[in-house]
Amino acid sequence: MRKLTFLFLVIAILSIAAPVYAQGGTTAAPTFNWAIPIGAGIGMGLASGLAGMGQGRVAAAVAESIARNPGARAGIQLALFIGLAFIESLVLFAFVLIFLRTA
Amino acid sequence: MPEQLWFTELLNRYFGGAANSLLNAVHQPAAYPNAPINNFVAIEILVVGLLFVFFVLVRSQLSVESPGGLQHMMEGIYGFIDNQSHEIIEHDYKRFTPYLVALGLFILLGNLIGLIPGFVSPTATPTVPLGFAVCTFIYYHFHGLRKHKHHYIKQFLGPVWLMAPLMFVIEVVSHFARVLSLTVRLYANIFAGDMVTLAFFSLIPIGVPIIFLLLHLGVSLVQTFIFVVLATVYLAGAVGDEH
Repeated sequence: MRKLTFLFLVIAILSIAAPVYAQGGTTAAPTFNWAIPIGAGIGMGLASGLAGMGQGRVAAAVAESIARNPGARAGIQLALFIGLAFIESLVLFAFVLIFLRTA
Repeated sequence: MPEQLWFTELLNRYFGGAANSLLNAVHQPAAYPNAPINNFVAIEILVVGLLFVFFVLVRSQLSVESPGGLQHMMEGIYGFIDNQSHEIIEHDYKRFTPYLVALGLFILLGNLIGLIPGFVSPTATPTVPLGFAVCTFIYYHFHGLRKHKHHYIKQFLGPVWLMAPLMFVIEVVSHFARVLSLTVRLYANIFAGDMVTLAFFSLIPIGVPIIFLLLHLGVSLVQTFIFVVLATVYLAGAVGDEH
């Protein structure tokens, strides 16, 4: 029984990485432009780093305001989620652009 | 021809011809005529089917005296979204709750089904979130028009009469940008979640990717919440009295 449990656990761990199944055959680009990966790295780094700074300020303000007025937690959290979503979506625009250029 | 999941194969075997003739009728022939339905659309259809069965099941078990587990769960979800739209839209919010609940459940199941091996998230492709976003766009403009009739245009013109032509252009662009941002936010989050799992799977193929699947679970829930909240906020803006 223990062996069977172990076997199922291993199978579950191996098969749980579902996105692997979505991998099709990849075709190599005809010419390799070295500037694209470098630009992608710089762009993604800038986008996510600056968004991290922005989201850090949001989180700090939210922590402070909940500490001052714990009763307003629900409304503050709603504003937190909306604000974070808008900041994050800019990073995701950068990600999509980079993916369109590199893939 | 791309790899097909078992459900896609099943759909293509029985409905491939119909899908091909539909695509040819709108002059957009399929990239692979042997498999016109791709994985994302197939899983989306599966999600619709699952939700339909789920709703029928819940509906058949509704009772006032002895509510079952399913009914409690649905009442919880409905009550949560109802409360939230009450906070955001304030009055006459009841009529929007069914749409928001259906949207939320569809997105949630679409995000989560990708965690099961052998399925993909239909939301990890741009077209499916675009569908949700366009539906929401049409829905809130419809209700704006229904509520304010021809006065609805005042929301686009701004307070100053002289600035109106400029404001109108800016507002129209910003309303279309909402569709773009709703689409890309959902798509890119789910897609990036898949990519991160894949990247770590290629580094360490055992154990570690599970952490990122947990992250993906969290992202799925948060993105569903965000999509529903933003739809509610846009609805509140369209039917609100501030202009």
